[in-house]
Amino acid sequence: MSVSRRSVLSLFAAAPLLAACGVGGSSSSGSGERTKVRIAYQSFADSTLLLKDQRTLENALPDHDIAWTAFDSGASINTAFLGGAIDIAVIGSSPAAAALCPPLSIPYQVIELLNVIGDSEALVVRKASGVTDIKGLAGRKVAAPFSSTAHYSLLAALEQGGVDPASVTLVDLEPQNIQAAWQRGDIDGAYVWTPVLSVLQKDGLTLTDSAKLAKAGKPTLTFTVARKEFIDRNGVVIDKWLAATDAALKQINTDPKPVAEAVARQLGASVEDALSQLTQNIYLDHAQQRTPEYFGTPEAPGKLAEQLRSAAEFLKAQKKVEAVPDLATFQAALRVPRG
Amino acid sequence: MAESRTRARPLSGTHAVLVRVAAVAVLLAIWELLVLAEFWPPAVLPGPAAVWDQLLATADAGNGQGGYAGSTVVERLGVSLRRVGYGSAYGVLLGVGLGLLMGLVPLIRAITEPFVTFLRALPPLAYLSLLVIWFGIDEEPKVYLLMVAAFPPVAVATAAAVTGVNKQYVEAAAALGASRLRVVTTVVLPASAPEILTGIRLAVGIAYSSVVAAETVNGADGIGGMVLNAQRYNQTAVVLLGLIVIGVTGLIIDSAILAVQRALSPWRGLA
Repeated sequence: MSVSRRSVLSLFAAAPLLAACGVGGSSSSGSGERTKVRIAYQSFADSTLLLKDQRTLENALPDHDIAWTAFDSGASINTAFLGGAIDIAVIGSSPAAAALCPPLSIPYQVIELLNVIGDSEALVVRKASGVTDIKGLAGRKVAAPFSSTAHYSLLAALEQGGVDPASVTLVDLEPQNIQAAWQRGDIDGAYVWTPVLSVLQKDGLTLTDSAKLAKAGKPTLTFTVARKEFIDRNGVVIDKWLAATDAALKQINTDPKPVAEAVARQLGASVEDALSQLTQNIYLDHAQQRTPEYFGTPEAPGKLAEQLRSAAEFLKAQKKVEAVPDLATFQAALRVPRG
Repeated sequence: MAESRTRARPLSGTHAVLVRVAAVAVLLAIWELLVLAEFWPPAVLPGPAAVWDQLLATADAGNGQGGYAGSTVVERLGVSLRRVGYGSAYGVLLGVGLGLLMGLVPLIRAITEPFVTFLRALPPLAYLSLLVIWFGIDEEPKVYLLMVAAFPPVAVATAAAVTGVNKQYVEAAAALGASRLRVVTTVVLPASAPEILTGIRLAVGIAYSSVVAAETVNGADGIGGMVLNAQRYNQTAVVLLGLIVIGVTGLIIDSAILAVQRALSPWRGLA
């Protein structure tokens, strides 16, 4: 053999280097001094898509390279954070809570609340199933995309309705498959979000929704999170981001049409769909987020940390995280948006 | 390379086993070294010990969540193997049947060959959505997916084997007065059995490797479902465990088919 053993061994030593090698993607290099801002967004209607559409951040930070990447779930965003590939991300409260617990313990902070999920996520049953309340779900087949906020809400709704989750056949399905299974009559109900939800509601009965669960103390939320190290080094970027999203959040409450148009352009949806998706959630500007209901102030932390911890305890009961850290860890992971 | 200078001699039985055990040990050692070097956090690359712990935890039905999310790793393996078994069995039946027709009737071959090649090129995940719309979310779409994945290699191998049967055998049998059906059952099929079995070996491998795709829709009770579920929660040790279980059982199944092939065609490799 012409390849010596030593050179083969050195290949193994170079494994991390190999991992850094390009695979034909568009990873640009040689940008010199320019700071890179890598943002992960998800394909649902929210205020960050207005920023992306209007290039607000790009215009406010001309000397930064801003890269937007679409992700289809919070879990894959967490993986990207672990690999150090993302700086700022839009993520749901369930995956964010998981990330703050061991074994992941991702060093990121929640920097703002993008929305409280309202009736855009709901528990519906097929009218033909004859189920009229949550109690009636015992022994039935109910679908939800596992590990999502809807999954969390479904179990919270069952708990609230006094139904043992073990007595319900829970089926893990993605929204589009929920629609197919629903139409075939394979499932009796589903906890899912728009636009599939709107289709199901045409021949379904809505038992509860995330707005009602939020009022009952089991809210599901969408956050912006940012890598701790990135926040420390790039305060300017975070400030610009927060200023832009705060303006967008206010705009959704006052004049949602332009936001819906931007969202429609970004998601390839119709403006009406985008508008109905947007208006089904609850948006709070940063001043409202500093109330004791949510972030509170650094001196008097609000309820958000407890809610995150309760989401983490739910994951612990599902054996999806090893342990739930104390409240202080969750409080430290919240960075009050300073307006 | 050694092969170019001296004729490669097969290793003796015990020697082969020793070499393989050593290779696995070296692989484990490299894995452990990479973990110890901490290039990646443990959540990205867990060590062999973490995966072993997961094996013990997920095999234990009394650990509070009935293994992993409701079923133990052994139950999951059983569920997935049943799916692969049904899918491969239907695929093999369909493949051998179609392959025979393709090999014997040139017209059928001309018509069906493009379709078989078309199916072969499709990634299972792509047609799964269609199968879900047509057949729902229970066992049918999973078994049909594995069947669609498994049948083309068998059909292609059977067709090639049947066309490749020595014409003199067929003519001799026909001259001795055998009917067409008898020629097929007593001459063509036995003569093409080794190649058909190679096709089946490929098919079972493809079916098994498609099981994760098949279980993306309501397959949470299978071993592929476990991998997917664990990936959602970044439980990398469970993902690795699932992959190792699939890989090792795949190896065992393959060895079993190979043994059948040797038993059915002992003359192979001796010519």
